[in-house]
Amino acid sequence: MSLFDKFQPTKEMYYALREQTGRDPFGVSMDEMKGPTRAIVKGREIVLAGTNNYLGLTYDESAVKAAQDAVAQSGTGTTGSRFANGTYDAHRQLEIDLAAFLGFKHCIVFSTGYQANLGAISSLAKPPEDVILIDADCHACIYDGCQLSGAETIRFRHNNPSSLEKRLQRLDEKVNGKLVCLEGMYSMFGDTAPVKEFVDIAHKYGAHVLLDEAHSFGVFGDNGRGLAEAQDIIGDVDFYTGTFSKSLASIGGFVASNHDELEYLRFSSRPYMFTASPSPANIAAASAALKRIASDQSMRITLWENAKRVHAAFTQLGFEVCAPASPVIAVKLAGKAQAFKAWNFLMENGVYVNLAIPPGTPNATSILRLSVSAAHTNEDLDIVISAYTALSEMLANDDSKD
Amino acid sequence: MTSIQEDDDLVFRKICSLIEPLNEKGVKLTRDTDLIADLEIDSVAVLDVVMDIEDNYDISIPVNTISEIKTIGELVDAIHAIKKEQS
Ligand SMILES: Cc1ncc(COP(=O)(O)O)c(C=O)c1O
Repeated sequence: MSLFDKFQPTKEMYYALREQTGRDPFGVSMDEMKGPTRAIVKGREIVLAGTNNYLGLTYDESAVKAAQDAVAQSGTGTTGSRFANGTYDAHRQLEIDLAAFLGFKHCIVFSTGYQANLGAISSLAKPPEDVILIDADCHACIYDGCQLSGAETIRFRHNNPSSLEKRLQRLDEKVNGKLVCLEGMYSMFGDTAPVKEFVDIAHKYGAHVLLDEAHSFGVFGDNGRGLAEAQDIIGDVDFYTGTFSKSLASIGGFVASNHDELEYLRFSSRPYMFTASPSPANIAAASAALKRIASDQSMRITLWENAKRVHAAFTQLGFEVCAPASPVIAVKLAGKAQAFKAWNFLMENGVYVNLAIPPGTPNATSILRLSVSAAHTNEDLDIVISAYTALSEMLANDDSKD
Repeated sequence: MTSIQEDDDLVFRKICSLIEPLNEKGVKLTRDTDLIADLEIDSVAVLDVVMDIEDNYDISIPVNTISEIKTIGELVDAIHAIKKEQS
């Protein structure tokens, strides 16, 4: 046995599939960026349709300018943790602005969304007396947060409030704190949670709810506050987590709450205390993007128009689309091999999407995950739809599976 | 080692019936069968099988417990222990 034996099975599978197509879906290099929806890859311009740039703000003029000014003013990095020398006025101000935008009393900014979830879950729930209940399809960072916490962790069926209720009923009376974790829009299929039902059930059993709106912040709700706003339940969410790496077009993450105890995370959350804070440019860009989201609803309207157009086109082409129309539009393929082939075919037709295969996907499905952006032009989407039209013809004659 | 047909433990039989559809290589299922090494079932698929078991027996099996389980026999034992505790 050596340290590296464990990599062998995955390596073999991965290399074999890669060899068939001559490309590496998990090692694409965007050789030159041409804007929020275009890049040059191996000498060819492609449409980016597998990002999380939902509102298309990565090249927003005000955000770019704010980031440039922040670098000039405050330097390239903070070289320290939020807990030590890494909290600048801009970090504090962004916390205040996010809390105000969402309508919460408190907000803490972390270095990434991954760390925000890791940090919140691991310091809120402690073994042996607390229990964490998570939606089965939760993101890796929620699973990892549970591991770091060490508290007993129970999965409930995806988007199934009665499955949560059964598990809450089964809990021993000796259990102290109960933390229920779920997401707004799920990143792989683009399906959305019945947040209101979950919150009602959790509170009925004295549990707190942590809702990760990583993909739904800026995308759902009349003001872009996420799925909780769309379902009119935002004030009842105990812990609202989010990221800067999607609609906010930067890097960083946050947790917002009405519980005063949130502030204790600053002294107890290892992923907050033991890593450097986001750089001034990251904070400035996220702040500027937040201002744009708060003042301009047109990006979200365009995003949804684009989402509906692509969803309708794919449905009409006969693809098995994983969820109703949303900015994430995933189509199901017959298996890993077909998915690799289809992914490669789209690249050859000038379109980048995300290839996702088990165990990174729900129900062991192999999918192509496409995400639309408000920045996609009609021409971008024409290219996407015609590539998928050609793909559907190719697949009609394909019987590869695994 | 007894085979499924000879084993009269109902939990063992139930687990085998849930795992059989994932047993693509047709490995003979015994208590010593390693879920990941022998059956090449990925860690998420194991969790999904466990979810079916939970609903079937109306028990909750923590992820922490599952991550320590390697073989079918260990899973059977864990379920017996939890059934006793939660009933
Ligand atoms: C649901 C969910 N939560 C959190 C994250 C992590 O966000 P970040 O990129 O800021 O670490 C992601 C993104 O990968 C995600 O999909």
